[in-house]
Amino acid sequence: MADRLERLTNLVAVLLETGRPLTLEEIVERVPGYPAERESYRRQFERDKATLREIGVPISLEALHAFDQETGYRIHRADYELPPLDLSDDERVALHLAVTAVRLEGQVGDPGAGAGRDALLKLGGTLGAAAPTLAALPDVPALPALFDAYRRRARVSFTYRGGPRRLDPYGIVFRNGHWYVVGFDGDREAIRAFRADRIESGIEPGRAGAFERPDGFDPASALRDEPWRFGDEEPVEALVLVSADQAGWVEADLGQKAVAERRDDGSAVLRMAVTNREAFRSWVLGLLDHAEVLAPPELRADMVAWLSAVAGSGAGA
Amino acid sequence: VTRPDAAVRLRRLLTIIPWIVDHGGSSLDELAARFGIKVAELERDLELVPFCGLPPYTPDRLIDCEIVDGRVFLRFAEYFGRPLSLTPGEGFALLAAGQALLAVPGADPSGSLAAALGKLAGLLGAGDGMAVELGPARYLEPLRAAAEAGERVEIDYYTFGRDELTTRRIDPRAVFAAAGQWYVDAYCHRAGDDRLFRVDRVRGVRPTGEHFEASSGGAAGAAGPGGSGVSAVPGGPGVSPGVIFNPRPSDRRVTLLLNANAAWVPESYPMESVEELPDGRLKVVFVASERAWLERLLLRLGPAAEVLDPAEVRVEAAEAARRLLVRYG
Repeated sequence: MADRLERLTNLVAVLLETGRPLTLEEIVERVPGYPAERESYRRQFERDKATLREIGVPISLEALHAFDQETGYRIHRADYELPPLDLSDDERVALHLAVTAVRLEGQVGDPGAGAGRDALLKLGGTLGAAAPTLAALPDVPALPALFDAYRRRARVSFTYRGGPRRLDPYGIVFRNGHWYVVGFDGDREAIRAFRADRIESGIEPGRAGAFERPDGFDPASALRDEPWRFGDEEPVEALVLVSADQAGWVEADLGQKAVAERRDDGSAVLRMAVTNREAFRSWVLGLLDHAEVLAPPELRADMVAWLSAVAGSGAGA
Repeated sequence: VTRPDAAVRLRRLLTIIPWIVDHGGSSLDELAARFGIKVAELERDLELVPFCGLPPYTPDRLIDCEIVDGRVFLRFAEYFGRPLSLTPGEGFALLAAGQALLAVPGADPSGSLAAALGKLAGLLGAGDGMAVELGPARYLEPLRAAAEAGERVEIDYYTFGRDELTTRRIDPRAVFAAAGQWYVDAYCHRAGDDRLFRVDRVRGVRPTGEHFEASSGGAAGAAGPGGSGVSAVPGGPGVSPGVIFNPRPSDRRVTLLLNANAAWVPESYPMESVEELPDGRLKVVFVASERAWLERLLLRLGPAAEVLDPAEVRVEAAEAARRLLVRYG
């Protein structure tokens, strides 16, 4: 019996070169190495098909003729072939450094092993030295399907926090150690971000080309990382006094635009647009004794009430 | 050594055949290096090629593979003229790795990597909707430079857990990004021991003019080849804040009862145990090494948390709240 690898290679060649779908019987007749008995060759072909799909060979199942019940298999060349990319060897060296320096977490074994390296092999090989690991990014099962939907502009459906969601994925962003998919939420009719690792279901893609991403849309800025701005509350402008020892990095964090006043003792007053009071309070409390809410009176009173409650709860202990 | 299975070898064959079709006369050595395999493996794969082709498998329908003076030639393999297209997972992984490396401060935004990523994004139809941010890194470059050159530096460091700013001399061995932050793995002369520092909490870096001997020990394990100042991520794959946080025996064990709206706590910090009670509340046990860290957590949680144990922590939270209230007169 012929080697399995040989049979698989011939199977790919036959399905690529056929001008029409081939029935299972036609395939078995054309590709040497299948058993003679029907049930055995059917099982063997199912295994081969699974192996081909595992490595990404696009086998399509089609009706033999219009209105025909009978189906057959073929590989469309346009789906199979990698279009020319015209990389230079310098560019291959740079990509090789990238897939070795940046590791997708969950990949064990050789640094640089995994999907990125497989991609690079198809693009003409791994050239030059490997880099030592510089960064580890988490690998999340939903990412390939989200990425595919993003690039094909297909609306996706999935389950998130127990509920169904429909999203036009405008972009994929890695921030604060997490992958997010950012896009237009079809139910809430607003831009929303979802943490990819918290998606609770598979990704169900719709048809390709279902939406256009708005011109100039920047997923990184759409994914706001200032938690006090994540919210639907009536916006209010808050002023926060930050003491000298923390003012420098808070300024760096919020940007110079946020500085309302610099005081002689080195402290600074920062202006923040708050649409989520809870997140704002949490952020200010994170600075402990180094911050004080100055305005508006309403947020200052909130803070006093909150702290008084915590101060009181320990009094009897 | 286990033999790679048929899927791995088929993927390799469908990658190498098109390259040889395009680059007839490549040497076995060059091909093996390019595709990251041994010459013997390559020869074993190529031995199979002459048995592959199309029906009726007569000589003119089989792939003709010739190796002359270590150079490989293929004929009658035009249908394998292009490699298999990238799977979504492969395209994503390559683009993500490239964008991450390009996001490292000091990367050339118009170099070979950027050019390659531009072509790749074009091929995949990926546009500019992907972004990789490795974390705030104001002092990343001086620290990487110091690690690379083996230079001892003095840093101002904000210890978040103790709410304290200290100055210390460190020998930075490696700088790496994990779990959304940049870290520097160093020997700390103040602690007299190895420490991991978060780069975003470094508030100043000054040269000391002293050098240190790069050693192979330390938290980061073996340094990378050539002592390039970057090394394997400690803890190997799966680095998480839980791995980076190592409790000491003297640390306090705290038990809290959390309302359902405080479920983010066990998601954010390493916990020893999490138990859901019939009323929907969570009973969590964790180790807290620093008082300021715990104060912050309890102040933020407010009424959403009840301290079960130890009782003194309840008092500390109340004291912290009173201390902050002083500012509000």
